[in-house]
Amino acid sequence: MSLFLKFIVRAVLRDPVRGVVTIAGLTLGVAVVVAIRLANVSSVQGFEAALEVVAGKTSLEIVGAGVGVPETQLAELGWLRQYGRVSPVIDRTAQLETLDGSVSLLRVLGVDVLRDQPFREYRLLRFSEGDQEPSPQELLAVLLDPTSVVLTERFAVRHGVNLETPVRLRVGDTAHPMVVRGLLLDEGPARVVDGHLAVLDIATAQWLFDRLGWLDRVEVQLFVPDGIDIAEREIAARLPKGLRIQRPAQRGRQVERMLAAFHFNLAALSYIALVVGLFLVYNTVAVSVISRRHEIGVLRSLGARRSLILGFFLGEAAVMAVLGAVLGTPAGWLLAQGAVRLTSPTVNTLYVTSSATVPQLGFEDWLLAGLIAVPLSLIAAAIPAAEAARVTPLAAVRDAEHQVNHREFPRKPVVAAALFLGLGAWMSTLEAVGGLPLFGLGAALAVVFGAAALVPILLELMRRFGRGMLTSWCGVEGLLAHANLSAAVARLAVSVAALVISLAMLAAIAIMIGSFRETVTYWVGQTLQADLFVATADRAPIGSTATISAAVERDIRTHPDVVAVDGFRSVDLPYGPGGDLIILGAGDFGVLLDYGGLAFKVPAEGAAAMRTAVGRDAVVVTESFSLKHEVGVGEAISLDTPHGPRQFRVVAIYYDYSSDRGLVVMDKATFARHFGRQRPTGLTLYLDPTANAEEVRAELLAAIGPDRRIFIRTNATLRAEVLRIFDSTFAITYALEAIAIIVAILGVAATLLTLVLERRRELAILRLVGAGREQIRRMVVVEAAILGLLSQGTGLVVGVVLSLILIYVINVQSFGWTIQFHLPLGFLAQSTILITVTAALAGLYPARVAAQIVGERAR
Amino acid sequence: MRTRSDGMGGGLSVDCCTGVVFRALKGCRWTLGLAVVSGMGLLGAGQELVLGTAGGWRQAEPGYSWEFPRDHGSHPDYRVEWWYYTGNLETADHRRFGYQVTFFRVGVDPAPDNPSRWAVRDLFMAHLAVTDIETGRHLMAERLNRGGVGWAGAEPGTLSVWNGDWAVDLDGEAQRLVAVDRGLGVELRLESGRGVTLHGVAGLSRKGEGQGNASQYYSMTRMPTSGRLSVDGTWMAVTGTSWMDHEFGTTFLESSQVGWDWFSLQLDNGLDLMLFQLRRSDGGVDSYSAGTRVEPLGQSTSLGAGEFTLMPMRRWVSPSSGANYPIEWRIELPDWRTSLTVEAMVEAQELYTEASTGVTYWEGAVSVSGLTAGLPVNGVGYLEMTGYAGRPMSEVFGSW
Repeated sequence: MSLFLKFIVRAVLRDPVRGVVTIAGLTLGVAVVVAIRLANVSSVQGFEAALEVVAGKTSLEIVGAGVGVPETQLAELGWLRQYGRVSPVIDRTAQLETLDGSVSLLRVLGVDVLRDQPFREYRLLRFSEGDQEPSPQELLAVLLDPTSVVLTERFAVRHGVNLETPVRLRVGDTAHPMVVRGLLLDEGPARVVDGHLAVLDIATAQWLFDRLGWLDRVEVQLFVPDGIDIAEREIAARLPKGLRIQRPAQRGRQVERMLAAFHFNLAALSYIALVVGLFLVYNTVAVSVISRRHEIGVLRSLGARRSLILGFFLGEAAVMAVLGAVLGTPAGWLLAQGAVRLTSPTVNTLYVTSSATVPQLGFEDWLLAGLIAVPLSLIAAAIPAAEAARVTPLAAVRDAEHQVNHREFPRKPVVAAALFLGLGAWMSTLEAVGGLPLFGLGAALAVVFGAAALVPILLELMRRFGRGMLTSWCGVEGLLAHANLSAAVARLAVSVAALVISLAMLAAIAIMIGSFRETVTYWVGQTLQADLFVATADRAPIGSTATISAAVERDIRTHPDVVAVDGFRSVDLPYGPGGDLIILGAGDFGVLLDYGGLAFKVPAEGAAAMRTAVGRDAVVVTESFSLKHEVGVGEAISLDTPHGPRQFRVVAIYYDYSSDRGLVVMDKATFARHFGRQRPTGLTLYLDPTANAEEVRAELLAAIGPDRRIFIRTNATLRAEVLRIFDSTFAITYALEAIAIIVAILGVAATLLTLVLERRRELAILRLVGAGREQIRRMVVVEAAILGLLSQGTGLVVGVVLSLILIYVINVQSFGWTIQFHLPLGFLAQSTILITVTAALAGLYPARVAAQIVGERAR
Repeated sequence: MRTRSDGMGGGLSVDCCTGVVFRALKGCRWTLGLAVVSGMGLLGAGQELVLGTAGGWRQAEPGYSWEFPRDHGSHPDYRVEWWYYTGNLETADHRRFGYQVTFFRVGVDPAPDNPSRWAVRDLFMAHLAVTDIETGRHLMAERLNRGGVGWAGAEPGTLSVWNGDWAVDLDGEAQRLVAVDRGLGVELRLESGRGVTLHGVAGLSRKGEGQGNASQYYSMTRMPTSGRLSVDGTWMAVTGTSWMDHEFGTTFLESSQVGWDWFSLQLDNGLDLMLFQLRRSDGGVDSYSAGTRVEPLGQSTSLGAGEFTLMPMRRWVSPSSGANYPIEWRIELPDWRTSLTVEAMVEAQELYTEASTGVTYWEGAVSVSGLTAGLPVNGVGYLEMTGYAGRPMSEVFGSW
């Protein structure tokens, strides 16, 4: 142990920069992995916590198809009472305006408290004396008035709300004045969702949420909880058509599955920074080995076994890994706060409303960080450590062995590169596993390793053929820089590889996002034909059911310049054996065909095919639906309806980038036939060609009045909005990538610094023979810039390859979108300049160190 | 407020209803939502009565024209209504049981604005109790529902009242009564027997000073009963006699009335007696106490407060509520030369109805013995006593 301290720890302390950079790199790598994991967990947990509160002591729940459970069916379910207690529930989200002007998104539960009390805890502040729950009548009395709402104590304290305080509940296009009649104690469920819970009487909830006649589900609390399997089977067998029984956790699993692809890709991205960090570990240990061959030889000649040497260097890596994990975990928690801010708009816009808060760090988070960082670091360190163990005692007497130049072309990297790239090519042809692009990512990883193997080859090429060019560009400093780099090819290879990989990933992601954005822009231009788009002011996810009220629709339809209106209604619907939540939409096919512009994929005459769907049980589906569920034109799909499963023929597939969940769209008459008349969740308006959209919009808003909460967007603003959402979706991607690049550039700087420190003697001699401080400095900066440029050049080429995998394999397997390949040349050019400059800047510190070396050190 | 509950069951339900309303009010101090409350007119009944309505509900007034079976059905214009069944039954091997099944309807808002089916116009409560005389066990179950999608309700025009799967309806002249809750319950057929007896003046039973503080009230005092009864999941064939009360009105009690004692007695000389007294907060008996004497052929005579006395004798203290109930009474009807002793068949027949009406009261099977016109007489019946348990009624009402 003391030998380890002397041999490894002291050496690290003597050259702290490299150790610090490596640990910093590992810390960032671990932090990003932890952060993304926490952010992913928190968005699912946010939903599941809410689910838990809402589920209470519910054992089973009965749900309907898409639009809910028709309440009249409840009368046929009297037999349920032999299994347990039964409580109908309206479960929604809405925004609550408080007097302090703030607006919060709340989970809103509409219940019949007379039935519901055994299901959930309703300890109200005012009834808390004597620790008693209010009686059902007391609760009912609190809730009975249609303006009554019960909030949580926690929420009330935060927003200065008290009993009898007026608030406004925004549902769809209407803000309903309400009065706070009760506050749930800050304990149990009210605490879990951070107080974002409101309770209404079921009658009030039906009225406010436009759910008259419908229930969101019927909950059952079994008398014999152990008999749940039997009860579930028996109830399933007796339920009328159109109703299903499930356990509450099922909804959590559905959401988890819905988010799986999104989360998986984020997690995969988060590992890039860690991979880069591992390259740093490899690099550090490798440098450590190379620079101490002599000492290793001495140790060996003094009787140290090979295993001891191996242990020393693995120990070095392990110590760094542990430090990285210990520092990275809390850093990850901090990063997660930012990550949640970046990802939750996406989750809320595209998937599901949940209030995500980062969970506290638990023991398992530390453990997991350690389990990721330590073994991977050991693997990364194993190669140089094994090399160290092969050093013979002779090395003690043979100085400078490491400086021997390779005269032969490196053959091993060529073989490795070929193997990895071949593997990548093969894996990119394999199918997704369980909806996740495992092989696609494997292919990307193989390309990454292939690229890493290419780096020494490229450095070798630079050594052989770069001399003239550098000399002519940068004069004598260029010549010297070339010579220095040439001498250190072996040592540079790894840190340059790390940089190449991060840059390649950046280029790949930039190309992918650029292509995607270009595709979406084109698609938006082609399909968004309507002049005005009307939506409720809720920013609820697609598939939510905040409806446009009849009064608003009437005001809109009667405007003289409005020539056609398409009312769109969407509902979430479980589909297929896995119960994936797809979106079922209903629109006016006539209007859509006459005025709209869907971009059809198949068949070529999509519009004609769509026309045949009117009046029949036929649908058009999005590309992502068709890819995910492997459904083609002419095939029939089975959708749950209130009357049981029904077959619908797919007549066309169209391009859509609004949701990766997959959309199935039917004509509104077909929808009404199966699901009953439902109010639309959005309207698209087509105006008289001579009308001015902005003016009509203003007139409509004036007619509707300020009390209605309606957004009317013009075509131009909606397009801008679509791209804004698009960009915010990818904000996290860039953030993750930036971190990986920071780690990589740190690595390059650290390597250069090591080189500088090792060449003290040479640099001193250069000074002695007349080199100026400025020249030395310029020489080191040129070295850094060369490395930056070389890395970026290689990164771009590899990036294009990776982007092809991202676009044509990973994206298709995860989201099912067709993306047109498009090179964002401007971005790539800018980033090339930026990276070269940044690399040169990263050389400044080593350059300064080098410039301070003076002649006396030549001895 | 008016306190008399004319009928036995009646009294109870008034209590229950006021309990609900009171709690609502006390709970939140808002009155808008619960039109019931104003309808109840506990305080301001006087003014509201001028129009004959209170909070949108109709008051019980003289001159109601009765018609059966129509009036077995619901009277949704009135705020409060109940159907009350009690009886003494026995098996072939003379194992004796008492039973009580009560359906309450309490109006909350005669015309809710909310078009939802779940909007609460009425609340429906129901109690089931069975006394196993042999073992001394007293078992009960309760129900509380809003009408909603037909979970509970009462049809107007004919007898059809239900709460969950508990129900009573007509089968020709007879009534079918079913109330079973996990191993406890009755499935009975009640013949109409002696037929309908109207109480008070042509069915209008005054409860207090204020006009309208009254209810429409009739009974079927002696209904031959057969069917089966279940205790702990064991069904037994039973026969016996039942008593049905049906009462509806809008405002009932007055604030000085703290509780009541109500008797329904079936004597072996063919007489049936309904008697109730309203106890005042000053310890006295309210002048609106009353009764009805029914002869074997159905001819009935109203009894005023001065025509009978009810004297508490032996008492029993409930170990759970601490209430001190007289479970033996001496009844004197001097004009009829009648002197009776009424004794609880089982002491512990107290009900805790936390999950429905929220009121604790004593209701149970009793046996009767005594002399009438010098001849010995025996009988069975039911006794209901309220205002003894927990918060005294005076406190409940007093907080107004």
